[in-house]
Amino acid sequence: MTSLWPRLEPLLPRVEKPARYIGCEDGACTDIYKPDATSWLLTYPDTYEIGLPNQGLQILYELLNERPDAFAERSYAPWTDMEAQMRSNGLPLFSVDTHRPAEEFDILAFNLSAELVYTNVLNCIDLAGLAVRASQRGDADPLIGAGGHCAYNPEPLADFIDFFVMGDGEEVIAEITTTVGEWRKSGKPPGSRENVLRALTQIAGVYVPSMYEATYDGTKLVGVQPKHPDVPVSVQKRTVADLADWPYPRNQLVPLTEVVHDRLNVEIFRGCTRGCRFCQAGMITRPVRERPASQVREMVSKGLERTGYDEVSLTSLSTADFSNIEEVVTGTIDEPGTCGRVSVSLPSLRVDAFTVGVAAQVSRARRTGLTFAPEAGSWRMRQIINKLVTEEDLYEAVRSAYSQGWHRMKLYFLTGLPSEMDEDTLAIADLAENCVAIGQEYTKKASVTVSLGGFVPKPHTPFQWFGQNESAELRRKVELLRERLRRNKRVHLKWHAPEASTAEGITSRGDRRVGRVIEHVWRHGGTFQEWSEHFDLTLWEEAMRASELDIEWYVHRHRDENEVLPWDHIHAGLHKDFLWQDWQDALAGFGLEDCRWTPCYDCGACTEYGIEHVVASPVPPNGGSQGTGQDLAIGHVVPVDLRPRAEVGGT
Amino acid sequence: MGKVRFVGHRDVARIVERALRRCGVPITYSEGFSPRVRMSFGLALPTCYESEAEYLDVPLSPDSIVDGQIACIGWGQGKLHNEQQMQIALSEALPTGFDVVALTVEPKGGGSLQETVVTCGWKFDILGAVAREVEDAIERALAGSEIETERKKKNELVRENIRYGVYDLRMDGESERGPIVIAELSAKPRVIRPSELVDVLAPGAEMGIARRTHQWIEHEGQWQEPLTPSKSPQLKEYS
Repeated sequence: MTSLWPRLEPLLPRVEKPARYIGCEDGACTDIYKPDATSWLLTYPDTYEIGLPNQGLQILYELLNERPDAFAERSYAPWTDMEAQMRSNGLPLFSVDTHRPAEEFDILAFNLSAELVYTNVLNCIDLAGLAVRASQRGDADPLIGAGGHCAYNPEPLADFIDFFVMGDGEEVIAEITTTVGEWRKSGKPPGSRENVLRALTQIAGVYVPSMYEATYDGTKLVGVQPKHPDVPVSVQKRTVADLADWPYPRNQLVPLTEVVHDRLNVEIFRGCTRGCRFCQAGMITRPVRERPASQVREMVSKGLERTGYDEVSLTSLSTADFSNIEEVVTGTIDEPGTCGRVSVSLPSLRVDAFTVGVAAQVSRARRTGLTFAPEAGSWRMRQIINKLVTEEDLYEAVRSAYSQGWHRMKLYFLTGLPSEMDEDTLAIADLAENCVAIGQEYTKKASVTVSLGGFVPKPHTPFQWFGQNESAELRRKVELLRERLRRNKRVHLKWHAPEASTAEGITSRGDRRVGRVIEHVWRHGGTFQEWSEHFDLTLWEEAMRASELDIEWYVHRHRDENEVLPWDHIHAGLHKDFLWQDWQDALAGFGLEDCRWTPCYDCGACTEYGIEHVVASPVPPNGGSQGTGQDLAIGHVVPVDLRPRAEVGGT
Repeated sequence: MGKVRFVGHRDVARIVERALRRCGVPITYSEGFSPRVRMSFGLALPTCYESEAEYLDVPLSPDSIVDGQIACIGWGQGKLHNEQQMQIALSEALPTGFDVVALTVEPKGGGSLQETVVTCGWKFDILGAVAREVEDAIERALAGSEIETERKKKNELVRENIRYGVYDLRMDGESERGPIVIAELSAKPRVIRPSELVDVLAPGAEMGIARRTHQWIEHEGQWQEPLTPSKSPQLKEYS
């Protein structure tokens, strides 16, 4: 094995934040080199600070390093200053663990958690010294893999990635390791790359785009079909049935330099069935699989002792929904080893499940930031997106927080949602102002930050057929709200650049032809597109023109029921007609219950794979509004009509 | 020392804080909405520099010294450590490249270890410089009354004569990177960094690795180091 450290070290004084490139984290594996094992370079295509805490990557890192037939190291996208140094000094992409060159690994596996990192993926492949197009790579070159939520529409990256993995990675990485291991043992002779890729198609959850052909009729996609009879027509996602079997990461990495989410992170459940129609994560990660409360407590306790952190985040898609949340928070704070000085942060809080009890427990130690996500300002809009939290739910949660000593909180909203009107946008201001008014009953300092994001429709959601708002329209809505809130010093408005939503729209629902666009943007210097200082919409517009593709057609056009979608051959379990019905229900303002506490409406996620929810409590926490048969009409203009389940979805 | 020289001093503070907590050191916290661990580093070590002489003051809670030993709390609850045991425990809890080489418990009201640092000792090499030329440059610099340097201050180039702060300057052999220079530079009114001297000693050359070797304080007219190391720094193995 080769270490590039002696060549890298002299470059580090010339770059910003050199600690990004040294590794040395507590929990890092540096003595895992096994000459006969399948080697993985797990690469996060964004900066070290963003990528290091990624739990998915850390779980796979540990699991692979526990195996006798595999080992894994990590890599992150070098920042632009480091990239310039690397290119001018002929240094390739390297692992931070032992500083080996990327090219020496059997597999380079990318985590795709956002579409705007796609150009960074190409940049990393190029920095590794490999051809960015899969068809141009040599037999013995590393295989390029990708997983994560964005892999559910793999087509925009189909020309660059050798294989994608759909769903939970815990089990499938073992099968991939074995298949690639055989190829490795064969010495990777000429012609063998085709064979190993063909073999990978036989693993459930693995999609090898080069084994499929996309056909078009003019601009219209006709289908993505396998080229060979043994290659499956559709690829099914992988799901681990019980999180209790996977108490990972056991040794969370503790970085030497500050990163985002710089604390102990313990995943308390995976999946969410609240059924918010804009939320891709909630659709593709079903069903809900709670970790046993006792295991959560053990992971928290051992993790805090091992790392020395004084903050723990209980992560999930909707943390307050965890059956034993109050008990776990109380137990953590009462843990003697923490001396009562541990902060518990609860990301993704649902307002109808956040109680004064939870607030009181959390506030016993240092208070962390609180973020609630009502997502839409008006009840009508929240019915359409199926985020069935009432205004009273929000005000109760806000009251709980202010009464327990918080001074400010953040409210997250989307704009550009289906059928949104200006009164819906302006209702965001009313909600925020009412929250401040509640806060002022408790403290003069009460304030609220409203964070506004432009909605980008995502594959495998009921909104996948919706035409995204144009950036000018999003900008107008932001301005509308800004003007409305201009005089209120207690409500701070923040928003994401609407132009970035357009680029995200191109890549989110794009087909294979969009690969040319991504390559064009990358070749014209467009890396780190998630970073406002580097994002440039004109690059994307030029790339679309150069590729003879139309932004209106890809981003802003409504799709109809019969249109073949670029990801139709990828399955997250959800029946397409369930999604279509839910889209129709959305437009009609029908709500859908949470199936974890009510009978199954057969969306497909459980029935397709013979799995089910793993939930400790049969009722929602705090008797939340949704799924309890409560009268949701109270205090609101339009009563929600919870649709009889028998009529929804199913095939 | 080693790879961790690229960690900035604010990050070092966080690393130390976690180690203190893991070992159950009876640390104290500031008051207020967001309490912080009380501890103070003296002179910040510039990023990319190594050091074998950093000092840290950590106020302990008043009732934590029992029979001259430190009564641990939190994750160390139930343990009684003497100075040496605590030194070993902290070294083990710190990442590779960090080592506690001396530790002492001072009575309440004792002065800060580092508030009176007057000069720092440094050892650094200059990439690719010619030893003979560096030696000549040192001789010229010490013979004159001016050592003119340039440094960036808030995006402005400041020229300064730093002869007043150069107490010792000499060559000490060569590393594989270039000539090694030993220097003792003043820490008051500001810390003079070895990098400022590189352009004087070898115009246009880059500094290799610089290491702080001493921090001298003035005590009753005598210069001395705040603590005497009880062991030499151990660099834990890393690849």
